[in-house]
Amino acid sequence: MAPYPGSDADYFKDKARRDLLTLLEGVRGKKNLIVSQDLAGPVGLFVKFSLLQEYGVDRVFLLENGNVDSSQRNVVFLAHAERLPQVRAVAEQVKRLQRNGNVEHEISIFWVPRRTLVSNAILEEAGIIGDVSIAEFPLFFLPLEQDVLSLELEDAFSDLYLHKDPGCIFHSAKALMDIQQRHGYFPRIIGKGDHARRLADLLLRMRKELDAEESSGLARVSARGLLPSATTESLIIIDREVDFGTPLLTQLTYEGLIDETVGIKNNQADIDTSIIGGAASVSQAQEASKGPQQSSSSKQHQKRKIQLDSSDQLFSQLRDANFAIVGDILNKVARRLESDYESRHSAKTTTELREFVNKLPSYQLEHQSLRVHTNLAEEIMRNTRADIFRKVLEIQQNYAAGTDPTYHHDAVEELIARDVPLTAVLRLLCLESCMSGGLRPRDLETFKRQVVQAYGHQHILTFCALEKMQLLLPRASSATSALLLPTATPAGGSHHQQNTSPRTNYHSLRKTLRLVVEEVSEKDPNDVAYVYSGFAPLSIRLVQCVLQKPYILSLVRGGPVASATTAPTATPASVSSPGWLGFEDVVKSARGATFSIVQKGDDKAVRARQTISGAPAIKTVYVFFLGGITFTEIAALRFIAAQEASRRRIIICTTGIVNGDRMMEAAIEKGNFA
Amino acid sequence: MAPSNPLANWERLGDSFYRKVLIYDAIFDEDIELENYIIAGAPYGGAIALHRDESKPYRFREAQTTKSSIDIYSCSGKLINRLNWEFGTIRGLGWSDREELLVITEDGTVRRYYGLHGDFTSFSLGNGAAEYGVRGCRFWTSGFVALLSNNQLVAVSNYEEPRPRLLAPCPEGEVSSWSLIPPAYTLSRSVEVLLAVDKTVYLVDPTEAEDKILQNGPFKHVSVSPTGRFVALITAEGKVWVVSSDFQSKYSEYDPESRVTPRSVDWCGNDAVVIAWEDEVHLIGPNGVAARYYYDGTVHVVPEFDGVRLITNDACEFLHKVTDVTEAIFRLGSTSPASVLLDSVDLLEKKSPKADENIQRIRPSLPEAVDTCVKAAGQEFDPHWQKRLLKAASFGKSVLDLYNSDDFVEMTEKLRVLKAVRDYQIGLPISYEQYMRLTPERLIERLVNRHEYLLAIRISEYLELAADRIYVHWASQKVKVATGDDDAVCKLIVQRLDGKPGISFELIAQTAFDEGRVHLATQLLNHEPRAGKQVPLLLNMEEDEIALDKAIESGDIDLVNYVLLQLKTKLPLASFFRTINNRPMASALVETNARSQDKELLKDLFYQDDRPIDGSNVLLSEALEETDLPRKTEKLHLASRLLADSKDPSAVLQQKLVSEASQLLKVQEALDKDLADRSEFLGLSLNETIFRLIRSGYGKRAQKLQSEFKMPEKTFWWLRLRALVAKRDWGELEDIGKIKKSPIGWEPFYNEILGAGNTKLASVFVPKCTNLPADEKVEMWVKCGMIAKAGEEAFRAKNMNALELLQARASGPAAAEIDRMIKQLRPKK
Repeated sequence: MAPYPGSDADYFKDKARRDLLTLLEGVRGKKNLIVSQDLAGPVGLFVKFSLLQEYGVDRVFLLENGNVDSSQRNVVFLAHAERLPQVRAVAEQVKRLQRNGNVEHEISIFWVPRRTLVSNAILEEAGIIGDVSIAEFPLFFLPLEQDVLSLELEDAFSDLYLHKDPGCIFHSAKALMDIQQRHGYFPRIIGKGDHARRLADLLLRMRKELDAEESSGLARVSARGLLPSATTESLIIIDREVDFGTPLLTQLTYEGLIDETVGIKNNQADIDTSIIGGAASVSQAQEASKGPQQSSSSKQHQKRKIQLDSSDQLFSQLRDANFAIVGDILNKVARRLESDYESRHSAKTTTELREFVNKLPSYQLEHQSLRVHTNLAEEIMRNTRADIFRKVLEIQQNYAAGTDPTYHHDAVEELIARDVPLTAVLRLLCLESCMSGGLRPRDLETFKRQVVQAYGHQHILTFCALEKMQLLLPRASSATSALLLPTATPAGGSHHQQNTSPRTNYHSLRKTLRLVVEEVSEKDPNDVAYVYSGFAPLSIRLVQCVLQKPYILSLVRGGPVASATTAPTATPASVSSPGWLGFEDVVKSARGATFSIVQKGDDKAVRARQTISGAPAIKTVYVFFLGGITFTEIAALRFIAAQEASRRRIIICTTGIVNGDRMMEAAIEKGNFA
Repeated sequence: MAPSNPLANWERLGDSFYRKVLIYDAIFDEDIELENYIIAGAPYGGAIALHRDESKPYRFREAQTTKSSIDIYSCSGKLINRLNWEFGTIRGLGWSDREELLVITEDGTVRRYYGLHGDFTSFSLGNGAAEYGVRGCRFWTSGFVALLSNNQLVAVSNYEEPRPRLLAPCPEGEVSSWSLIPPAYTLSRSVEVLLAVDKTVYLVDPTEAEDKILQNGPFKHVSVSPTGRFVALITAEGKVWVVSSDFQSKYSEYDPESRVTPRSVDWCGNDAVVIAWEDEVHLIGPNGVAARYYYDGTVHVVPEFDGVRLITNDACEFLHKVTDVTEAIFRLGSTSPASVLLDSVDLLEKKSPKADENIQRIRPSLPEAVDTCVKAAGQEFDPHWQKRLLKAASFGKSVLDLYNSDDFVEMTEKLRVLKAVRDYQIGLPISYEQYMRLTPERLIERLVNRHEYLLAIRISEYLELAADRIYVHWASQKVKVATGDDDAVCKLIVQRLDGKPGISFELIAQTAFDEGRVHLATQLLNHEPRAGKQVPLLLNMEEDEIALDKAIESGDIDLVNYVLLQLKTKLPLASFFRTINNRPMASALVETNARSQDKELLKDLFYQDDRPIDGSNVLLSEALEETDLPRKTEKLHLASRLLADSKDPSAVLQQKLVSEASQLLKVQEALDKDLADRSEFLGLSLNETIFRLIRSGYGKRAQKLQSEFKMPEKTFWWLRLRALVAKRDWGELEDIGKIKKSPIGWEPFYNEILGAGNTKLASVFVPKCTNLPADEKVEMWVKCGMIAKAGEEAFRAKNMNALELLQARASGPAAAEIDRMIKQLRPKK
């Protein structure tokens, strides 16, 4: 039924590229492009700079730097119209351009993803709305991979949970409407979490509005829009706040660890050349380090951008593996590569030799990538072997497993005194708060005092922010906590309970969804828990509750871990019991609303279409992580996708990639008293 | 009525034919003296605007008729609307292809009348238009260029958001005539102007004015062909030249043998030029061949892209090139298959057997013949010939076994539409080509503008197009003219529009509001299904709270922000806070925006809401931003005072911490003064301060700080350990090692010192780690390089395995020692 061939990923990539280039083409001649920081990376995902040059882009500036070259006549701004600081910055710079410079400028603004009323108001206030030409650049989903569509909204997490600004929900809804308009309506929307609920409501409302806009009795025009999709099975929306715990843990897959140690942004990582070697030979800057406390001059080292996506074959092999086995894989590849090289000696005939020469470029490419990843893995290994990393991990795993957190408070205090990065400390505190329903008020007070003394009093604000995000809370008073304790949730007495619980109760979910799987194998994973070496992300378990019911049931019933591949294939029952069916009571222990909505279309038309085209064997499930997803969760979803490959295709959608550090960064106060 | 001869009014011009089709007769009353009027006709057979040319003398009449006005007529002479004009001298009168009338006055004011009924928007040309005055204007489908009397050119290329823009400055001199090339046909993609100055012509674009270096000026007329490829010029001697638009080649020359300069020069399609005097029209084809037409009265020429309309008091005619298909069928003596096919229909009707004979003769090319007939039907204005041609096509395809009838069916549909709108009561003499270019939607728009709702709805139903706009327009019109009470009007409208999808009640409500019928507007708005759409109007109607609620309901942050922005400027602060108070999303957004924009607002908000912690946080972050220490402390003081009355435990803690912060700052200031001559300590955290003090050897002061700030003993020990290691103060560390107990144990000492590379000192701490298992201690000794000691440890623990492992690593005296121990430990046989 898809009106355009190709995968969603290709489609959205093409569309974004086409849209941008058309807009650029509309500005004749050479032009300078000024792009906001949070768009510069995403733009790189679908268009190369050389292509922009072909379309007349002379130089690119960052909006935030405010250093526009005023000699170029044509100036193009590319910025988010929904982010008011950006709009103000654009207005400011346009005014500056007009004031100075003897060149009369032709200024264009491309607003992403749409032109807003507020941006109009701001430009009008600045008195420039008449002097600039304004266009819209509807940029929504950006494919990171064939199975991952991201909105790449850096601030989605802090907007949603700290500032309570639901802008990204609207943005997500618009983006999902794009998918619906391409394939038809999601026949079912399943979700967990209050924001997820709001997103679903928006989707329903937008559909209604679209229906209202579609015009009268035109069978042929609107037929597509009115029907639920035949190729899509459902949309599953998981609100990040349902499972804050998971991202606070240190990710233990290869890609996850790269993200934890050096950071991955828009599929790219900036890595010190001293680790992976420069692309060109870089003479190490040997400037005298300024302070004696600077043990190394690493700050002066150059950074190199490494592309981390499936175009690198080796990386796609490594990325989702637990780090414990990355070394093995690298060794194997190295050995294979070596033997491939050696094959040149055995080449006897000229044809064999030619064959070898033909393959040479690909060997070299592989060799290069092998070198990069070996170095990178070694660097990570150095880090993971460190005393502090092991201590942190140990505490994390204990919290996740549900041991009494107070046993570890001394260790946390030691970490504070040893001046480990603040993010690591806060992650531990938040993890404890999430996993055990808050800290004892007295403990929380002690920690606050120590952190503030150790890292500066500006972090009073950090704690307020964490509290606002409900990441770090005092344990609720006994009256309300009774509700949370598993003993107080009588089985079957569900109608007495509220439909939504204020906090996720990991304590009970640990049992009911078997979050802790001790005997998971890292080498040959049999459960998603492998991504955290024994802890299954709650978010993923929730998805499994929808997609792999029999497996979860067999897991919970106990005994050894049933082979994940056989359990779900045993019965196709999962198909016949849609939504949360069978797990309604269980998922109540997780925070926020639970819902499963069927989007009905015109029955007759659906049936007619079914008889014409027949139901496709493989349907797509869209899993949307509102507020961000971690690389480990992506790995886990891919693990599920591989098991389900014969029945469904899973496409992962999200507002952006998060990890614990980024969550903490959102809260951490950047200013200081100096 | 007898069918007209299809060949009537054909005129041969070189290789091709032109024909003049009479569309309407008896257009204007005799008392409208066309010679005294400026006429502008909208493209695609649109309306005609007439304005009395003020430079022409008036015949004495009664006062009322001399009142200035712009009259809008349909092509059949039906007066659509009369706009009274009292805004000064008109220097430009033209149309856009959306049938919007543009009127430009001498002072540079542009009025854009849309919808033919007097609604207008206006803007000013600026750029000195007011000082110098506008001399004239030239229009293209979506914009125009105005020539000022100082020879400056101002271009407007978009009417929705008009942005008058100066073109390159052009030379001094008398502009004898000028014309423009629309942006779609220029290389620069911007409008270009041909300006005949003195003897030559300049090509002016936004960046430069290029002299085309001609000698035969001053040119009295310049006219560009519809596709911008050719230019027609009238030279000083009165000759007509056709040249390429880059002025590189001259295609033809024609001498009209008239001393009088023609009043207008226009293109008739792309191959012929029409020059017109008062009552004479010459049609000039390639190579200077020409046809002449004479009239009794004044004739006005309205150019279209595929021909020209000739307007006189008596008639509206369409002069255009005969298309190949028409020529193939009707040309005298034509033997083309299509022509034969048309004949066969006649024969068939006469029941002549020759019909079949003919068909068989053209059998091989019958499909093309059918196609040709279908196409030719589109070219005809006379229904008789349309029918004949379609009949021929129908007959032809009935003979064929396989023929795709889509074109045929579509043509019948289009012809029905064309017939309906060409009716003299509607008066849209649109040609087939024009209809194709205009699109059905825009045609319907034109009907709606003429208030021909029924026809518009019929056509859109017939063509399966959206009809919602028609309904909305109708309803808006209803709102404007209805005099009944609001409820009745609303009921009527809602009843009529019930069940029609896509109706934008918001637009209707807007009209009602503009008409001053607020109650009606509110009622209508309730029927709008799209919450977001209602917001701007609600704001206009001062229904602030409802607007805010609807914006929130829509989920669109932009709308909410927009409403908040409006409310904030409009309402007094207290009521603004009251409005957002019980709407969490709104207050969250206000908070977020204020955080970067307006801290004072934020403080007020928190004060009003009684949120002391948030309030003190604002002050705290202000303190962070301050660079000046006294002001920093001042802010902190304020922050702490805000929390003073609160009994909430977290507020109490926060207050303590805030005062601690200012206390620390005070201490650090003193330290900077005493110990460092620059700002070294200020702004550090407590831990860092202590760490630095110890590292710089001020252990006493550090200790004082520890007790002053009640730092836990363990933390202090850690800091001291790390600082001393960093300082490499081994002596001090050794001294500490002599103390009996350490709150953090001795293992950290061992680790840190070992990490710093002092194995000797590290080893001192191994025996102090009494609670560690033996094999760990063995390992610790080994790391210090003391195999013998490790051996002793293992020996004490009677750990044979460890000893054996050590044996392998040992050398020299240690090896002997270990051997000895192994022997001693080995069970005696």
